[in-house]
Formats: sequence, C-alpha cells, structure tokens
Amino acid sequence: MSMHDTKRRGRNWTVPAVAAVIGVGYLIAGVLGDDLRFGIFGLLLMLAVAGAMMLAGRSSETVQGLLDRRDERIRGIDNEATMFAGMAVIVAIIVGFMVEIARGQDGLPYAVLGAIGGVTYVAAVVYLRFRR
Amino acid sequence: MKNAVRTLRTHIGLSQADLGSALGVSRQTVNSIETGRYLPSLPLAIALARYFETTVEEVFDVDA
Repeated sequence: MSMHDTKRRGRNWTVPAVAAVIGVGYLIAGVLGDDLRFGIFGLLLMLAVAGAMMLAGRSSETVQGLLDRRDERIRGIDNEATMFAGMAVIVAIIVGFMVEIARGQDGLPYAVLGAIGGVTYVAAVVYLRFRR
Repeated sequence: MKNAVRTLRTHIGLSQADLGSALGVSRQTVNSIETGRYLPSLPLAIALARYFETTVEEVFDVDA
C-alpha cells in the first residue's frame, strides 16, 4: 500500500468521523440538559448517518467522491451545494430577523447569527484576496 | 467547447472507469468531460493531454 493510498483511506474517514463527533456532542448536550433520550437519539442518528455514508460510498461514485475529495468535479459540486445551503440559511436568518422585529422583539438570535455570517464572509474575502 | 477525449480513449480501447482511475477522477467525471458538460481544470486538462501523449490544444478545441 502506497502512502497515497493510506492518505486517501484516511480522508474517507473524515466526514463519518465528524458526524460521529457531532453525535457525541449531542449526547453530551443531552446529558448536561437532563434529556438523555435526546442525547442517545442524537448520537445514534449521527452514527447511522456516518455508517450510511460509508456504505453508500461503496456503490456511489458521488458519495465516494464526497468522502475522499479526490475528484475535482465532485469537489466543485460540493462547494456549490454548500454555497446554496449557506444562501438558504442566510435568507432564513434575514426573514427570521424581520419577523422578530415585526413582533416587537429584539431580533435575537437572528441578529447575532447574521453578524457572524457577515463578519465571516468579509474575513474570508480578505483572506482569499491575499491567497489568490 | 468540444474535445477529443472520447475519440482518444476509445482509440486505445480504454473504458471511462480505467481513464478515470488513471487520472484520479470518477468514471462520471470522465463522461461529463467527454459530453462537454464539465470543463476540467488546467491541471486535469494537462494530465489528460499527457496521458494521451498529445497537447491540450489537440484534446480541447477552444474554437468549437
């Protein structure tokens, strides 16, 4: 087995491992919040997602590409899909903020989420501007 | 932009999966390049040209 194969195999585990870590986070949140059922359900759900991705990666080139990130076309698809998802979240935050203001509230937590999104975008533009 | 990837590939009796494996991309990506749905990056275009022992201009017709 070459070093390249080892690296590729390691990459295959990154997304499922992140899903499992999120599941552990759900479990810890459930335990701390006295909602063990939520914690266990969240952990099992994320472990199921991780397992499903590993299994799907054996039969689907697209899922395999999302896991090992070798294929530039699938990386591009992943980037654009992430951008669309981000746009959907931004629209939801803006609409949520407007609704909260219209209801006479202070706009939280949408104002904070919107600020995080805006600052992150500007920081990313500045960072990428100096890299490219 | 038209390209000669399919012609070059079939000329040497190679499958899309074999070419994809040699270039480190999926069979779907090779198919997308051949049908013109996906324009590869410069490194992948060069890798394709080198694989077929020709030039990028011979593989990709910028005027088509």
